Amino acid sequence: MTTIDTPEKTVAPRPSRTPKPRRRIVVEGSAKHRGIQALSALLVVLFLLWAASQPLFRVGQFTNVFIIAIAIVGLNLVTGYTGLLSIGHSAFFGLGAYTTGILITKYEFAPMSTIPVAVVLSFVVGLAVGLPSLRIKGLYLALVTLAVGVSFPEIVRRAEDLTGGATGLVIRSRFLAPPEWTGLVRAERGIWMFWLSAVTLMLVMLLARFLVRSRFGLAMMASRDHEIAAAANGVNVARTKILAFGISGAITGLAGSLFAQYIGALSPDGSFTLLKSIELVTGLVLGGIATQIGPVVGAFAVVFLPYYTASFTSGPLSGVVFGALLIAIVFVMPEGIVGRLTLLSRKVVTFLPADHPSRRKGERPPEEPT
Amino acid sequence: MELFLERLISGLTNGSIYALLALALVVVFRGTGTLNFAQGELALFTTFVAWWLTTQSIPVWIAIVAALVLGFVMGALIERTLIRPVQRRNDMAVLIVALGLFTGLNSLAGLLWGSETKIMPSPFPNGLDDYVSIGGARLYFDALGVWGALIVLMFLMTLLFKKTKIGLHMRAVADNPESATLAGVRTSRVLAIGWGLSGAIGALAGVLVTPLAPQQLGLTTMFSIFIAASAAALFGGLDSLVGAIVGGLVIGVLEAMLTGYISIIGGSLQQTSALIIIVAILFVRPNGLFGTQKLVRV
Repeated sequence: MTTIDTPEKTVAPRPSRTPKPRRRIVVEGSAKHRGIQALSALLVVLFLLWAASQPLFRVGQFTNVFIIAIAIVGLNLVTGYTGLLSIGHSAFFGLGAYTTGILITKYEFAPMSTIPVAVVLSFVVGLAVGLPSLRIKGLYLALVTLAVGVSFPEIVRRAEDLTGGATGLVIRSRFLAPPEWTGLVRAERGIWMFWLSAVTLMLVMLLARFLVRSRFGLAMMASRDHEIAAAANGVNVARTKILAFGISGAITGLAGSLFAQYIGALSPDGSFTLLKSIELVTGLVLGGIATQIGPVVGAFAVVFLPYYTASFTSGPLSGVVFGALLIAIVFVMPEGIVGRLTLLSRKVVTFLPADHPSRRKGERPPEEPT
Repeated sequence: MELFLERLISGLTNGSIYALLALALVVVFRGTGTLNFAQGELALFTTFVAWWLTTQSIPVWIAIVAALVLGFVMGALIERTLIRPVQRRNDMAVLIVALGLFTGLNSLAGLLWGSETKIMPSPFPNGLDDYVSIGGARLYFDALGVWGALIVLMFLMTLLFKKTKIGLHMRAVADNPESATLAGVRTSRVLAIGWGLSGAIGALAGVLVTPLAPQQLGLTTMFSIFIAASAAALFGGLDSLVGAIVGGLVIGVLEAMLTGYISIIGGSLQQTSALIIIVAILFVRPNGLFGTQKLVRV
């Protein structure tokens, strides 16, 4: 007995359960948290106003960034949160773009009214692409998405009557004039597309935020982290994966639809090849996989990095620099830019949800047994 | 019949190239557990070096040997310096490093030698009359050479894996890295050798394909071959060497037959149609034809 008792006496007193908070704790929903949110919203608005006042070329670049960001938000849902690597998202991007292009040129739709059609079509195709994920897993599933990505340009080239084939599809700029209620004239299409893309991006990010925090989002992450365990806990893994693919495809298709209106000329070998998929995956991982702002940061990186590496070096050297930079970023911040910043900021301030267990304990300390 | 044989021959020739590059992918996958997206561009780079050596009036065979050695060194170096440090973190990091290499190597080749297409001399006699006739179909010697290279390589690989100590070590590491390390296998060296080996195999695929490819040697030559090869490796089952070879040949023949016989596919949908058939097969066998099923513990 004594031999068992003695070690217990020598054990140092247990550290108190909640260590002294050396960093600030901000509870979600509190006044302080709302203040921070309002401040960031203000900063975003200020940034947009500044960006909109830049020269037209720069505004176009920002528009491109927003569109790519929307596409990456879509990819993030399926690759980041559901854990299904897709290298076929260029096909959804292209599907959205061509739907809009064909509806405008062949059927004289108003540009805005093509967006829902593009979204629904991409959603349905997304469901179909998600179907194999029931049986095929991991890299084999990546092959399925690869097949989708590779076949899209080939099919576009083949369906010449509809898509204009290899020569491409040009949407005349008179079809793309801003709607009348904006009061903008046709020459101000750039600024109209800028605001349209910016607002759409924000809506899509909000949607993704709600989705990830919903029951469905939990199901997505559970089937990513451990499929069998998730299924055992009542998650319908099959439905979750297929639906995630559908929603993801729809969002990327939306980006494609905006892209068609922004660029005005589509060709199968231009922006819808496998290289686009690679660009999207790169942006996602650079920005921070399974983070909410990561896609935007990643989009800035994939649009501006090649542009700047091309500006101080010439031709192929920019590709070398871009490749080297990509590898360097993986070495320096493997969690992606946003992931790393989040980790750093945790040393200073922590955000806690209002129903976090440690909070409840703080409010109502455990009663001493009498 | 004659037409069928010619299509079969051309399919088998392209398929041999796919099989070679697929072998390179499988060797890396068995060791590291990832698909090396830069494999095709690595082969492109070494092939450009071989081409450059031949322009310096160095015999083509020596240039090919040099390309193989360079492929080995580059593969091993990439594993040592770029892949291993990030591998423990996660698969995505390896993927991005490979994408970086993909962009970087391709642009580096363009930077050093320009983007115009090159004419790479064939190591085999490839004149218009250098063929044997089989049932009326022409079997050119350079096609025969590619088949021969694949057969010799298969023989050498079997020797390596079944008869040598390093081959045994490689199999051990592929099977279970921890156990292999505990049993005294120098895992890290084995991994580097595996990457080197796959770099060399890829280099072989590169120097053999370019004399056959209609567009000769350009910056985009290897991309479609890489897609076909990765499809072949997956189709065969990623961790199976036999599977890579069967997969490569099947894809090559499928492409040739589908484009030849089904007029709606024509010349423009060959990759699509081949990939669709592979996806259909994956439905039946989700781990490829020869892949091992993974057991998952909860």
